[in-house]
Amino acid sequence: MSSGKIFYNTLTFLVFISLFIVIAVVISLSVTSYPIFLRDGLFFISKSVWNPVKEEYGILPALLGTLITSTLAVGLATPLAISLAVFSAEIVPPRFRALINNISDLMASLPSVIYGLWGLFILAPILNEYIMIPLHRYLGFIPLFSTKPVPTNLFTASVLLAIMIVPFASSIIREAYSAIPYYLKEAAYSIGLTRWEVIKIAIGYVKSAIFAGLFLALGRAMGETVAVAMVVGNIFNLPKSLFDMGYTIPSLIANQFPNAEAYNYMVPALYGGALMLFLIGLVINFFGLYLIKKVMIKS
Amino acid sequence: MSWAIEVNNLNVWYGDKHILKDVTFKVPKNIIFAIMGPSGCGKSTLLRAMNRLLDLNPYARVEGQVKINGIDVYSDNIDITWVRRQFGMVFQIPNPFPHLSIYENVALGPKVNGLVKDKSELDRLVKRALEQAYLWDEVKNDLKKPASMLSGGQQQRLCIARALALKPKIILMDEPTANLDPVASSKIEELMLELKEEYTIIIVTHNPQQAARISDYVAFLYMGELIEIGETSMVFTRPKHELTEKYVVGRMG
Repeated sequence: MSSGKIFYNTLTFLVFISLFIVIAVVISLSVTSYPIFLRDGLFFISKSVWNPVKEEYGILPALLGTLITSTLAVGLATPLAISLAVFSAEIVPPRFRALINNISDLMASLPSVIYGLWGLFILAPILNEYIMIPLHRYLGFIPLFSTKPVPTNLFTASVLLAIMIVPFASSIIREAYSAIPYYLKEAAYSIGLTRWEVIKIAIGYVKSAIFAGLFLALGRAMGETVAVAMVVGNIFNLPKSLFDMGYTIPSLIANQFPNAEAYNYMVPALYGGALMLFLIGLVINFFGLYLIKKVMIKS
Repeated sequence: MSWAIEVNNLNVWYGDKHILKDVTFKVPKNIIFAIMGPSGCGKSTLLRAMNRLLDLNPYARVEGQVKINGIDVYSDNIDITWVRRQFGMVFQIPNPFPHLSIYENVALGPKVNGLVKDKSELDRLVKRALEQAYLWDEVKNDLKKPASMLSGGQQQRLCIARALALKPKIILMDEPTANLDPVASSKIEELMLELKEEYTIIIVTHNPQQAARISDYVAFLYMGELIEIGETSMVFTRPKHELTEKYVVGRMG
């Protein structure tokens, strides 16, 4: 066998290992969670109960917690990510550009436990003191702010997640923004647009990339485990306001797995939660990648 | 005689590189004025120095005067957006905003510059600009569709409509047919002959035949220097300068 052939075969084999692992994960998620779906059906998703002693599991609060924290995080991160991207691509003097981009990329790759620690000891008390308590005091009649806040809750988790995904989302937006052809900017300036009007046009031009970046960031926020588990409160209750302590699916799994095997149905329940997370993540990432592909074709 | 534009002792540097050297000329109104010369001679730079698009290049430095209606566009405290909308500009690559509709592409300039009072006036202006660019009949039912759906030649005429909607006095064209097929190119050339009734057109071209076909006056630019300028028929039949002669008979370029 020639060395080229050996190389090709080895490569193919290794690629198949990776693919096989992904498929194996999906199969084991499905097989292992099967008993809980067989016993409870969709009640497993629609019920709110976590009672291992009675073997009752319904993950609605964690599912809601995941959706609430991740979408709120993306909502909070959107203006920040767009601003950061436009700032670094358009406004900052060229000699500082690399510095800003490096800091942003470094923040994107920071281990999440660091964010968790900082979130727990620094961010949570500050948010509580200066944002959540005032919001509750003055706008407590709005259901979103109706619970008396404690430092660790869904809101704190959302803000921390937002901070974590800004660099990631903004780097995708920045790449797209920097790829805007020079002749389009010339056209915009040539008809008498000011710099800010040109930036507005340019943001419209990279709209799909912005959506793509935000969708991929949403996928990240949903899967984030450690940092969220440290600040979300870890109380299994159907959330009535943003200031409730809560759970997300990843934080539920991380907190419950040590004693799961002592019960008959807790392992299937945790796997069921994981399967739900996998499916939601799959849809969101798929959609994000689809948007990115559309952007690539356009440019 | 009043001039559409007067350029006096214009010098441009990119960093240390001297791109335009003491360029001086005047352009009469309602003619097509062609600037021709080999690649890299400074033609596009000259065009961008007129409407201050050169300001976008952080390494460019300009000295000298460019006067429209007696106003130097490089005088202090001048409003650069005002300067830019005195000119309509058409580029080498058809560059409509692909994510905006055909209508919005034309309407954007007048809208942000406050040239119209209301929607119906804007509608009329957009229609007239598209008619002048010979595009109206082809797009009147697709005004809401994105500009990216048009063919290359149509996109270039849309860019001309976008430029005309600013109601400029002067239209700057930077090799507007370089990326078009022959049929689309000759359409643009016909259009230019039509437009000079109302506008002064300054076109940059690296194609001497095109300059000979459409221009009334022509300037030959070589390595940043204005070598020769005059009536097109004269420059092409009896060039005064040896370099010009070489260029127009196609032995250079």
